[in-house]
Amino acid sequence: MIRRTVAIAAFLLFLTFLHVIALGRSTVERKQLSRGEGSAIVLPSPFLKIAALEFKGLVSDILFLDSIAFYGGTLNRAERPRVKEWEWQWLDKSLSASSDLDPYFLDPYLFGNAIFTWEAGMIREANDLLTKGSGHRTWDWMLPFFTGFNYFYFLQENEKAAEFLMEASRRPSADPMLASIASKLAFKERKTETSIQFLEEMLQRTDDELSKQRFRKRIEALRGILLLEQAVATYQKRYHVKPRSFEMLIAKGLIQNVPEDPYGGKFYLEPSGSVKSTTERELMPHRKK
Amino acid sequence: MTTFWPIALITFKEGIRNRAIYGIALVALMLFGATALIATMVPREVGKVAVDMALSTISFAGLLIVLFVGINLMAKDLDKRTIYTVLARPISRSQYIIGKFLGMILLITVTMALLSLLAITAIIILKNIHAGYFTRFSWQAIILADGLTVLMLIMLSAISFLFASFTSSSFITLVLTIITYIIGQSLSGVKALLEAPSYEIGFNVSPMTIKLVTAVYYLFPNLSLFDIKLQAAHALPISPSFVLWTVLYGIVYIVLSITLAAIIFRRKEFP
Repeated sequence: MIRRTVAIAAFLLFLTFLHVIALGRSTVERKQLSRGEGSAIVLPSPFLKIAALEFKGLVSDILFLDSIAFYGGTLNRAERPRVKEWEWQWLDKSLSASSDLDPYFLDPYLFGNAIFTWEAGMIREANDLLTKGSGHRTWDWMLPFFTGFNYFYFLQENEKAAEFLMEASRRPSADPMLASIASKLAFKERKTETSIQFLEEMLQRTDDELSKQRFRKRIEALRGILLLEQAVATYQKRYHVKPRSFEMLIAKGLIQNVPEDPYGGKFYLEPSGSVKSTTERELMPHRKK
Repeated sequence: MTTFWPIALITFKEGIRNRAIYGIALVALMLFGATALIATMVPREVGKVAVDMALSTISFAGLLIVLFVGINLMAKDLDKRTIYTVLARPISRSQYIIGKFLGMILLITVTMALLSLLAITAIIILKNIHAGYFTRFSWQAIILADGLTVLMLIMLSAISFLFASFTSSSFITLVLTIITYIIGQSLSGVKALLEAPSYEIGFNVSPMTIKLVTAVYYLFPNLSLFDIKLQAAHALPISPSFVLWTVLYGIVYIVLSITLAAIIFRRKEFP
């Protein structure tokens, strides 16, 4: 009797042990399975809407969580580019489907905007998402504000940017600063100052530390340019000629020294009198063709 | 009313005693736990996801009750032949059906009220922890969505009674009710899709299909009308006239189904 009990107990113990090993190995092996482009399919929204029955909100939440989990999983990849082209496409489709099922859900719009602009250079896709959200969340000024910012910062289409900022400024509890930035953008008035203002506004609205750093650096660079531009203008007013170098500005005591370019380049004066930096391209994030 | 009550009460008690209820309660509890867990994984709209999940859980658990407890209650009398002893008493067959259905309404209302209490507790707890993430939130909308869900479940139960009145096995009733639920929740979506211009959906729909879908549209209950979870989750405005017409539609459909069920049941021959 006792022997039998011991035998059964040993057998159960063995099975438990085997179970743990099999589960562990299977999980590891599964991670090795290639996740090819074939798995990048997201069912079309009209079909999803029907198939989700009365749980559309829930399916929308799940699609969104799936997207952030997938993106989070790519963060510690070693290969470059970290996220492949088809994976960006999948993220775009998944977030679009999530926002089709629940078009009032804020998170897919903000997340899509955050990852598509800085990393993927998919500015148009980000703006499409934001525009969809803005159409539904008519009480929300943040979405048109971000669309405007994308036009200004990434696409350098100031008229478009002004349009969206105006829209944002008309919405409830919008920052009064927005209308003023919008009008200045539209009239191309004091470009550098407006840019600094816009970026500071953006800095306030951003939680993400990495983006904040980017904005701070950019603001620092623009402040340097602004200082030089103002000195050039004063020089011109006083002496009725354009300065040929920054040394001339220092000699007249208009500036104490040439500010440093935070991107590691050097500011220089063009013959036309405008201030440029040798790292001009650094100021703009990389754009896709 | 006096003739209905004893049957209604017995039906309710039988339903509450059903072991399946405990299983469903367990599922609901686990889902409410998941609500707390998943809602906090969302960066911003914690409130929206919490309301979404809580209302979906109520709906899902209610669906299980209608499908697995409700249909069983109706079928048990027939399967176990206890119907003979009931019908030997001085009550008519229609009174029996109506009494059973009233008991079912009682069962759905009571269990749903309990589940709603759990859901509200889950939302209150989350709301206290993440107060800043509940910017657009309305208890009224949540209660309204909950109420319409209960009406939808009563409607589905009424249809299961209709099916039970002419089928001979509870399994067939179950299958037919599940099919009706799926059709009822998706039909208006299908109709909208088919009626959209063909360049939008990418294929041509024959006029015959549209006619068929339209016929089915009026025959089957439009359960998706009762789903305002999305509006509740975002505290969007819900017009009183929408609620009024929808409730009226629900009541008319329920009365129609039960009347038909009673008529068919009166003529049914028992083996």
